Amino acid sequence: MNGEQEYRSRAAKVRQTMREQGIDALLIFDAGRHNFLRMNYVAYLTDFIGVGPETMLVFPVESEPVLFVTPAWDIPRAKEESWVQDIRPFKEFWSLLPKVSGEIGLVGRESMHVALHDDIVKALSQKPVNAKDIIENIARRKTEFELERLRKAAAIADAGVRSLHEEARPGLKEYELAAIVEYRMRALGAEDNFGMVVAHHHNNALHPPTDRVVQQGDIIIGEITPCVGGLFVQICRTVVLGRPAPVVLEKYALLKTAMQLGMDAAKTGAPASGVAAAINGALIEAGYEKYCRPPFMRVRGHGLGCGSSAPGNLEDGNDTRLEEGMTFIVHPNQYLPETGYMTLGDTVVMTAAKAEPMTRSSWDLYIKE
Amino acid sequence: MIFGRHSVLKRGCSTWNPNEVPRAEFESRLAAARKAMAERGLDALVIYGDNYSFADLCYLTNYFPKVRGGIAVVPRDGALSLLLNIGSRDIPFAKTLTWVDDVRASNQVGGAGAELVKEKGFAKARIGLVDSGRGFPLPQLEEMKRALPDVRWTDENVLFEPMRLKKSVLEVHAMREAGRVLRGVVDGAAKFIQPGRKEYEIVADIDRLARDAGAEDIRILAGERRLQPPSFKQSAEVGNHWAVYLSVQHERYWAEAGRTYILSGDAKLQGAYRKAQDIVAGMTAELTPGNPIAAVDNAARRQLGEFYAGAAVYGLGNGLGLNQWEAPFLNESDAREVGARSIGAKDLAENMALALRVVFESEGKLILFGDSFLVAASGSQSLLGK
Repeated sequence: MNGEQEYRSRAAKVRQTMREQGIDALLIFDAGRHNFLRMNYVAYLTDFIGVGPETMLVFPVESEPVLFVTPAWDIPRAKEESWVQDIRPFKEFWSLLPKVSGEIGLVGRESMHVALHDDIVKALSQKPVNAKDIIENIARRKTEFELERLRKAAAIADAGVRSLHEEARPGLKEYELAAIVEYRMRALGAEDNFGMVVAHHHNNALHPPTDRVVQQGDIIIGEITPCVGGLFVQICRTVVLGRPAPVVLEKYALLKTAMQLGMDAAKTGAPASGVAAAINGALIEAGYEKYCRPPFMRVRGHGLGCGSSAPGNLEDGNDTRLEEGMTFIVHPNQYLPETGYMTLGDTVVMTAAKAEPMTRSSWDLYIKE
Repeated sequence: MIFGRHSVLKRGCSTWNPNEVPRAEFESRLAAARKAMAERGLDALVIYGDNYSFADLCYLTNYFPKVRGGIAVVPRDGALSLLLNIGSRDIPFAKTLTWVDDVRASNQVGGAGAELVKEKGFAKARIGLVDSGRGFPLPQLEEMKRALPDVRWTDENVLFEPMRLKKSVLEVHAMREAGRVLRGVVDGAAKFIQPGRKEYEIVADIDRLARDAGAEDIRILAGERRLQPPSFKQSAEVGNHWAVYLSVQHERYWAEAGRTYILSGDAKLQGAYRKAQDIVAGMTAELTPGNPIAAVDNAARRQLGEFYAGAAVYGLGNGLGLNQWEAPFLNESDAREVGARSIGAKDLAENMALALRVVFESEGKLILFGDSFLVAASGSQSLLGK
């Protein structure tokens, strides 16, 4: 399926659901804050990632959509990248809006500012219903088209890990090392990166890099998340500069065990919380129950948005069933008192039976002597 | 405005050196904010910021969100609090970026924010809401307001604008540093822009130049015929012509530049590029204290003639600082494009900072030149240095 077929197929599914729900038109909004923690609904339906603060797709159930874009100079790119034929400057949205009638759904409230919402309600003389689930539900299973982009991103993520291992050395500042990793990935086509690289002999948590100088003996933790075509793949690995202390090897082995148990629990049809329970189980059995909660960890994995961020966070209480085609990261990233914070995680895709890693990097501790 | 693809994470060097920007600077800003609050009869402010637009939040606290957003609750008297959508494990790092002692974490900034407002005794107060970047997620804002039914809210999006229009001595220093970093990127980029290289390979090189120099963030748009953000679709090989828009955030402050790299030596294109530089120079000549801001726009209009409308689509200039685009704007249309209510100031004043740019087509190719300037007593000064 080529790009246009893929996006027309998505549009057809959205229209089908709109008919089932009696919705005549959707207003689909993006604020230019492309973020893997939530969907970019406009990009999902158009393949266009806006750079301006206001992008609106008016999507009638029975007629062709209209895409409104800021800044206006970006319209030619929108026309080239999207299948949508009718693309106009955002300011023209206001003249079309009063002509949109019937039951109207709004998608993208989460990134919409209150003034814009109020103006829309006023222009429509009605409060549109929150219709994000129409798109969320269609997007939760990745298509082969999306998986192709994700596989490209996964290969780039693996290159990022190789770069972290090969290039890490004492004397670099954290931000320089992070820049090296990102450079490798951008040179392969990554268009963005949620990348944190931190080095210390005892890390408390992941965070963006500082100007700290990397030292021999440091444990370098990395969370690397290249983006291709708006879709993110995340990988987490740990590198040690110099021969690691036995306790580091011992505790990292615990992370690997937890990771394997988490992967084993990620069966199609199983609840997302089951993955978290399996990872926590390994740590609890090793005597780290009190560390299985914040601030020592956050979640045991999560969806990666733009498409869908389903199944959400891998944590207690998330009963979302894992479905074939979902992609998410499993990461037993953990602070332990003996070693500090260490990272290990892979983005996986759910097959008909179980989770399969999309990245290929070894789970081993990366040692650079 | 040119904008640029927003990055998912502020992942460049993230530090605060209190010796360079001391707490006293922020206390001075806080005093000015409290004076404005008193004049408006406000008991407190709730200031929202996220990694897309953090200017007002950062102006008072020095904190800039890395991924998600957060709020500062600023009482007219008493201690400030930051409530950030981060994990509790992230609080120690967040505290390295701000002088505010009370930093809290919640993934429900709306609900937890309402509790914080109550805790500070403002459940029945008059509170100014500052969200000039228009990023406060609607469901969270609604939740906050629902939980505070007796609060009298007022829109105070422009409260900080007069304070931020004219940069302080330390802000000018920070902006010159951002300009210095950008100058290095602009100068260094030339050797990477070679025919036959893929566009995203060059973008990778330029991005690294900025990050190696300690940039917190960078925006790059480039192309032969139009500006494009980094994208895996941007896989074309560069020919003999490449226009590049660059904006770098360093120590919270932005600097912007635009350059066109003409590798063919084509005389017509070279001439067009010189024309673009001359037009910006003409606009720059108007950057004197007391001069009407409209004079800058008029200078561009005079010089561009029939090409003015096309160039104006990109915006010919705007204020610059903690935001890539802020007051003063050159005209109402530019202000409206980013949700500002007005151009912010009628006349130029010393220590205002502006980005100026000219974009037009020549021979079917994009010509772009731009730079960042400070309005000094003696006239304009390039923030990128000479």
